Amino acid sequence: MRDANHFVLPSFDRPPSRVAIRRASHYEDDLAALISETLLEFKLPIQGKTVLLKPNFVEADAKGVINTHPAVVGAARESFLRLGAQKVIIAEGPGHERDTEGLVEMIALKDYVGPLSNTFVDLNVDDIQLVPTRTRASKLKELYLPETLLNSDFVVSMPKLKTHHWAGVTLSLKNMFGVLPGNCYGWPKNLLHWAGLTRSILDINSTVRPDFAIVDGIVGMEGNGPIQGTPKSGGIIVLGDDPVAVDATCTRIMALVPERVGYLANAGLLLGHLKEDKIQQLGESVTSVRTPFQVLDEFGRLRADA
Amino acid sequence: MSISRAPGRGSLLQDVLLPFLHKGQNEDGGWGYRQGHRSSSEPTCWAIEALGNSQRTGDFKSAIERGCRWLSQMQLPDGSWPSFAGQRTGSWVTALACLALYERRESLDRVAQGLLWLCKERPGEGGLWWRLRHQLSRRRSLVRQDSSLVGWSWTPGTASWVEPTSYSLLVFRNVPEQLHPHGARNRRELGERMLYDRMCAGGGWNSGNPLVYGVAGEPRVIPTVWALLALEGHSDRPENCASLGWLERNYRQIRGPGSLALAYLCLRAYNRPPLDLERDVKRLYETNHFFRDTLVTAWASIALGPQSKWVGAPAK
Repeated sequence: MRDANHFVLPSFDRPPSRVAIRRASHYEDDLAALISETLLEFKLPIQGKTVLLKPNFVEADAKGVINTHPAVVGAARESFLRLGAQKVIIAEGPGHERDTEGLVEMIALKDYVGPLSNTFVDLNVDDIQLVPTRTRASKLKELYLPETLLNSDFVVSMPKLKTHHWAGVTLSLKNMFGVLPGNCYGWPKNLLHWAGLTRSILDINSTVRPDFAIVDGIVGMEGNGPIQGTPKSGGIIVLGDDPVAVDATCTRIMALVPERVGYLANAGLLLGHLKEDKIQQLGESVTSVRTPFQVLDEFGRLRADA
Repeated sequence: MSISRAPGRGSLLQDVLLPFLHKGQNEDGGWGYRQGHRSSSEPTCWAIEALGNSQRTGDFKSAIERGCRWLSQMQLPDGSWPSFAGQRTGSWVTALACLALYERRESLDRVAQGLLWLCKERPGEGGLWWRLRHQLSRRRSLVRQDSSLVGWSWTPGTASWVEPTSYSLLVFRNVPEQLHPHGARNRRELGERMLYDRMCAGGGWNSGNPLVYGVAGEPRVIPTVWALLALEGHSDRPENCASLGWLERNYRQIRGPGSLALAYLCLRAYNRPPLDLERDVKRLYETNHFFRDTLVTAWASIALGPQSKWVGAPAK
């Protein structure tokens, strides 16, 4: 059960965060071995716990570039089970597609995680509880949150490495939009846009407080993301115990400046570490895997060379 | 009766789906999205429709009455319905609640109050302040749509979208005009124009963004179905024909039982029912048992049953 009364610590009061960058060229690689081995380094408190994996499943996608690849989700599930988690749930509330069963069938999730009936939860139609937001960045003062999420012990945000036409980039923080139930917020979850898209990201993350992030950067998306962009090979998986630090690292890998992404800059004040000197880097260095991602002209200022 | 039971050679509808819905009713009279979940407006509306539409309405009379009673009690003082008990504001489910109650001829005074709320409730983009800001915004050209054409939103004060607009149009088309509030005709016309404005190039609808940053949005099955059902009174319009064509071409690629059932309902309403629905639904049922989802079970039951009254009803 998640602690609803946690405090939001200012970043200067937090210990350094740890982020691991691992190379992975193909979805056919032994991703379970790679993720298990990396998770061991983090010594996560998951023994006997319920872990909830929150991938980014948006809509059916013939090119396989919009959604977190099910091979990464399956590998993460297997890794957490190997490390002693009692139960690993995959849960998502797609923002555009009401037919969640059709979506997970289309992306062949069960080929990677086995039968879905007891493994996958559609957060769009879960039972809910009203929870006050831990920050007041947006007009939202409270959130309807799914009970499956609230009853889990350890939440892992599992986004795709993508640019975003409204927010600049969409990574583990933005991915948490998907935990809000469509039956309260709609398809798309338009209320969040009206409450202030980037500010809502802060309120959702301060309230839900994801514990860990695993980013599928094997193939990402550049340009007009999160749906209509172009596939971009990144050849990496990024993992970390601080979603802000993970997103900052991913943004640097994309040759963008995290401090110029509005919501990330704000998240760096309260929710985690943005600055490189507060992030302990494991695995590959950012420089060695840097892959410049194209952004829309609107976001040209985010580029490191701007 | 567990929905996990294999249908075998019997009737999926009679042996599995309807008993699952019947047994899944909560003590309070409503239905949750899944068996054992708390009662919610949307699954309750569709469970009532599915049981009421079956040829065994007599067997389910008491369940339907209890469902209608729960639904009636959920209405908020302003005439709207919330998605869940305890929510303080009404939403898109108001149209579904009005439709479910009207179809059973229950609580017509409540239906009239719901329609009044629907008429009064205007999406956020219709306001003067929003339009002024939109005109001045550098982002106004990113999304191609005529913002003067307002429909209905998912939640009060936000933008118009295809599905909630379609639900509202469907209820106004089904409920006789004597129950319509003043201004309903104008809202309906605007809503219909809004739907046509949001159609994807070549036919079909997605949630409501046909073009973003110059890139065409892809149609999706469920919004296309609802929009076509809402616009059925204009079945000869080229937009309807193009969208029906898109739905027919994509029918065999559908992988979700909810989408399949709704697509069938829509094509049947336009007198173009595909073959082998029961075989296809059974195949999908055996995949995940519909995730034990009340809504999907109800939609599949309606599709496998006789044609519903609210589909294809002429404007009154």
